[in-house]
Amino acid sequence: MLTLAAAAALVSGGLCGTLGYYIQRFKITTLSFSVAHAALAGAATALVAGTDPTYTALATAVVFALTIGLLSPKIPHERELLSLGFFSLFNALAVLMIYLSNVYVLSSASISVVLWGSLLAVTKPKLVVLTGTLVLFTAYLALYRKQIDAILFDKKLAEAEGINVNLHTLTLLLFSGTAIALALKLTGGFLVFTLLYNPVATSTKISKNARKQQILSTTIGALTALTGLAISYLLDLPVGASIALTSTTLLLTAHTAKTITEKTQLTKLKTTPSQQTTK
Amino acid sequence: MDRRSRPKRHEESRENSRRNPTTRTIRREAIRLEDVWVAYAGSGKPAIREINLFFPLGKLVLITGPNGAGKTTLLETCLGLLKPYRGKAFLLGVDTKSRKILEARRKCSYVPQDFMKPPYESYTARQAIELGLVLENTPDKNTRVEWAAKLLGIEDLLDRPLGTLSGGQQQRVYLARALARKPLVMLLDEPFSSLDRETRKTVAEILRNYVDRENTTVIIVSHDTAPIIELADTTIWMNEGKVVKVEAK
Repeated sequence: MLTLAAAAALVSGGLCGTLGYYIQRFKITTLSFSVAHAALAGAATALVAGTDPTYTALATAVVFALTIGLLSPKIPHERELLSLGFFSLFNALAVLMIYLSNVYVLSSASISVVLWGSLLAVTKPKLVVLTGTLVLFTAYLALYRKQIDAILFDKKLAEAEGINVNLHTLTLLLFSGTAIALALKLTGGFLVFTLLYNPVATSTKISKNARKQQILSTTIGALTALTGLAISYLLDLPVGASIALTSTTLLLTAHTAKTITEKTQLTKLKTTPSQQTTK
Repeated sequence: MDRRSRPKRHEESRENSRRNPTTRTIRREAIRLEDVWVAYAGSGKPAIREINLFFPLGKLVLITGPNGAGKTTLLETCLGLLKPYRGKAFLLGVDTKSRKILEARRKCSYVPQDFMKPPYESYTARQAIELGLVLENTPDKNTRVEWAAKLLGIEDLLDRPLGTLSGGQQQRVYLARALARKPLVMLLDEPFSSLDRETRKTVAEILRNYVDRENTTVIIVSHDTAPIIELADTTIWMNEGKVVKVEAK
């Protein structure tokens, strides 16, 4: 069981870390944020419907990713606000569904999946699907590497040169929705997006080089998920919160280290000319 | 006329059209705008209005006017990056609202106004130019990159990261990328903004020669008319979203 959970943590952490890098570079963070909460609302609906939360989460995330992905090119200026509107809607739906489900189940395994994640939730078939998604995403990146690179370099220029930016954005949102729905059982619905955003945010604090950021984001995603899982197992804490706290601690540490380094460099620059003048 | 050859040519043309749908629509026109009105969401008024323009292939066109005249909006409308809420815009004969616009854009080049990359940008000048050729299946990509770089005098900068180059050098990289694509239409937004006087003159001459040699249409948006005004076939003056004067040589 622990080996399965460790493998799921590594795969989902790595997959979400990589996706997070592309989401940030494509500037669709808010869109994917609302997709993550669509998955949460879907999982919460399963509590009332009595179905498997993974399937309902997957269905709502994919349908919503398709909808927002097709709609957003038509409303480029309003898409951020619209995404935030959907974010509120899905949160409200999730809370409503939890309220409508039997309150006595709050401590049961099914509700823990929606709220704080569970080690027990990982099964072999779900790990296979998660790994399959990682393989598919890696294949997609390899196949369209140059077009994606052109978009990362300059999105508007790539669009002007005939690259189908909207299609790649939609594909990325669909992969995000799928990865979120699959990782949701491990971390819980309210914390799943930390797997997406914290690794890339940390990578930008460590390096300014885009290629290094991508490698760092994947590595940090996989390692923080694994470390969080270990902390959860050793201290008997909720797995989602443990992963989120680990990755947030790393992000804050990287941010503090970067701030100190920059201030030290600035102080050195300020003092250097005056020393030269004295000499 | 050899009557027997007629059906053959017809069949060949149909075959070409089947392979490439835009071949059907690309004739001799580069850009056609018919009573075009474009507005930004929430602005409440059109950014450009009543625009009727036609540019055939093989012309050097200058669009000028004061800030806020609608020059960049017009250029982005030509490419289909902005869609008219009234009227129609055609790029190489393709309606910019049609799905085929992606194919038409592949035959065009664009240099944006806001091109500057931050100092930590790690893509080299060579990679930046090569990224403009990602949809091309030609084996001579490297030759094209080096040809364009030599033309713009940046062959020594090819392996340097873009972030370490000056504004003028970066602008020449973007111009090299536009030329390396060997386009039918080039749309350049303030392409001289970071260049010194001497380089401006050289680049203007390169563009003029390119138009004459390749039968390409180059549309330049610039608030500063020198030195291109003397070389342009057509100059268009804009003000407050409207075309106020067209002068063709």
